Amino acid sequence: MNFLLSNSGNGRQRMLQLQLLALLPVSIAALVNTGYQYLATLAQNSTLSTDDFRGRLARGLGASHESLGLFDMLAAGFAHLAPILALALLVGGFWERIISERRQTPMQPGFILVALLFTLLLPGAAAFGHVVFGMSFAMLVGRGIFGGDGKTFLNPALLGIAIVQVSFPSVADQHPLWSGLAGYAGSDAIAVYHRGGEAALSAIDIDLWSAFVGSTSGTMGTTSILAVLLGAALLMIERLIAWRLLIAQILGLLVFATLFNLLGTGAGASAMPAYWHLLLGSFAFGAVFLACDPVASACTNPGRWIQGFLIAALVVLIRVANPTHPDAVIPALLLASILAPLIDHLVIAWNIRGRARRHV
Amino acid sequence: MLVSPGLETRYVSRAALLGRDYRGVNFELLCEQGDEVKAGAAVMRDVRRPEIRFSAPVSGRISRIERGPRRKLISLQIEVDDSQAVAKFEPPDNNDGVSIRNFMLESGAWSSLRTRPFGNIPDPAGKPTAVFVTALDAEPLAPDTRTIIDTYLQEFRAGVTALAGINDAPLYVCHAQDHALEFEDSGRIRCVTFNGGYSAGLPGVHINALCPIGLGGGQVWHIGYQDVIALGHLLLHGKPWLQRIISLGGNAVRNPRSLAVYPGSTIGELLANEVNDGPSQILAGSSVYGRQIAPGSAYLGAGQRQVTVLVVSASDSVDKTAATNNAVIPSEALEKLILPGIFPVPLMRALQLGDAERARELGALELVEEDVMPLSGACVSHSDYASLLRDVLDRLEAAR
Repeated sequence: MNFLLSNSGNGRQRMLQLQLLALLPVSIAALVNTGYQYLATLAQNSTLSTDDFRGRLARGLGASHESLGLFDMLAAGFAHLAPILALALLVGGFWERIISERRQTPMQPGFILVALLFTLLLPGAAAFGHVVFGMSFAMLVGRGIFGGDGKTFLNPALLGIAIVQVSFPSVADQHPLWSGLAGYAGSDAIAVYHRGGEAALSAIDIDLWSAFVGSTSGTMGTTSILAVLLGAALLMIERLIAWRLLIAQILGLLVFATLFNLLGTGAGASAMPAYWHLLLGSFAFGAVFLACDPVASACTNPGRWIQGFLIAALVVLIRVANPTHPDAVIPALLLASILAPLIDHLVIAWNIRGRARRHV
Repeated sequence: MLVSPGLETRYVSRAALLGRDYRGVNFELLCEQGDEVKAGAAVMRDVRRPEIRFSAPVSGRISRIERGPRRKLISLQIEVDDSQAVAKFEPPDNNDGVSIRNFMLESGAWSSLRTRPFGNIPDPAGKPTAVFVTALDAEPLAPDTRTIIDTYLQEFRAGVTALAGINDAPLYVCHAQDHALEFEDSGRIRCVTFNGGYSAGLPGVHINALCPIGLGGGQVWHIGYQDVIALGHLLLHGKPWLQRIISLGGNAVRNPRSLAVYPGSTIGELLANEVNDGPSQILAGSSVYGRQIAPGSAYLGAGQRQVTVLVVSASDSVDKTAATNNAVIPSEALEKLILPGIFPVPLMRALQLGDAERARELGALELVEEDVMPLSGACVSHSDYASLLRDVLDRLEAAR
């Protein structure tokens, strides 16, 4: 693991180091918030059973909901995040080892990034079988068959999460998984808005501030917009991600959400203002860490604008039109990422046409 | 002999003409090893286009004719003597295009013109769409163009006026904003200011802005300001300008400054007692657009204005995984490193694959090696895009 410490100019390793560093704020927020959600739910309803692996681990680490402090949150968060991350790393490393031995190439450390992203996109109590399945799919179909780091066509973590969500819809909408407590009946914040608008949100203590800081329930790494912004700032300063793609997604979300507000039915998510679209769900996390994956997004500047607007349009459209898939970010990103080469192709064809028209 | 107000002159004992500076030329020698030559006298010519001659940069004895694979000329080295003998040329009486062209061909000044696309020496009968005079240098630690042009303003004007006369194409004098250049014959000579980052002094940028090269098969010509001064010197004084002004810079150089030197001077002697101890690398050109050269056997190339010596640290070495994985990872950092209107990542991929047709469509004809130099530094694959581009251009030219 000495590659994490070595500084090798502007090479691939430094790029990976920076990407992992950008995920650090999100990871810390994930630890704290996953623990907080777990303990807070337990405090409200102490009849819920905590007699599973994670519950015992959290208790063993000393987490208690009676005097809720930072240590309790970290311990309970650790009990949820660490086993998933360790398993994802193990599965990723296993496949990377096999691939590198078959190909007779050195192991590429990029699987660490895949495992971390994949973990942060899972709910806190995701089943270990799902982790193994999704991570294996990400490593083999998302990454291995294309030749490894930098040659992928889709972000492997995105593909892994998508296949888990498609294969086991419970991961996306069965909310006990989020706090790891059987019998807990929480719900996705966007689904809550669908049912009851802003009043329903405030009924479960979600306001703009808590959504921004990230003390809401959701998949582990995606709730805190503040932490996502810190990571995004680092990636932008180091010029690893294309700012055009990021700005296009945010602008697009503002435009399309406002369009639905004005023209929509006024019920459900079509009445949801743009700022709630930005703050709730995993849009911000996906926009920065998945959509802006440099390899799997459009590689021309006009293409980046187009892809950004496309992502935003799809997110808003699916959120409004399909209440059974309230978050909508993963399918929207997947579709836009698949279309990215086509977008680039059209942009380049247009560029070539302009060049052919010159008189020299 | 070398006179340049305010500048230190540095004499060397050897100078050379380099084969690699004249792309696509098959050299025919007009002299033999051991011959005494005068500075400015023709020593070689192109087999295919015998009107194009190459003249000796200094006076002296031809000490070595170095050839590489397939007897390709690598360098023609001249031992400088003290005679300071120069070849004399008769400036043309009338300033019509044909006489000026013939004068340039005879005196060897023609060989400092370059075409875009490809970067060749233009055909004597060729018809460019435009001619560009690069009268600014925005690269880091570059010599001060303004002082040099102002010192040799008469020669520079004579050179520009002569170049404007060789054909009907417009002639663009590209200069910095704080450096006013005015020409009376404003009909065909157009002065254009450029400013911006390090790329503002690249001919590729000027051509891209004023007369962009498409897929139509036309060409433009360009020439550097010091070569224009040399042409003006020939026209006004009838003898060659025996110096070039270069800057010596970089963090391994003890005393960075500009020097007046012979054209084609040996870099090893120029750097004697100038470089700090420790591992370093020598670049022909600036730290941004320069090409790494081997110490010892290197000479100043045609049009080269800088020698940069940089300290090499251990962490600069290429890591092993990069050598086995040549994937281009797009990043925002690549976007501004190439001419506007060209998409860097698709072009880099086409170059890596050696897809000449795709690279042509994506704008490879607008580029020469120096334009893609920064991409190699910024790309995680450590590919040498300059040589990849050269391969592609060679194939595109052969297919024409």
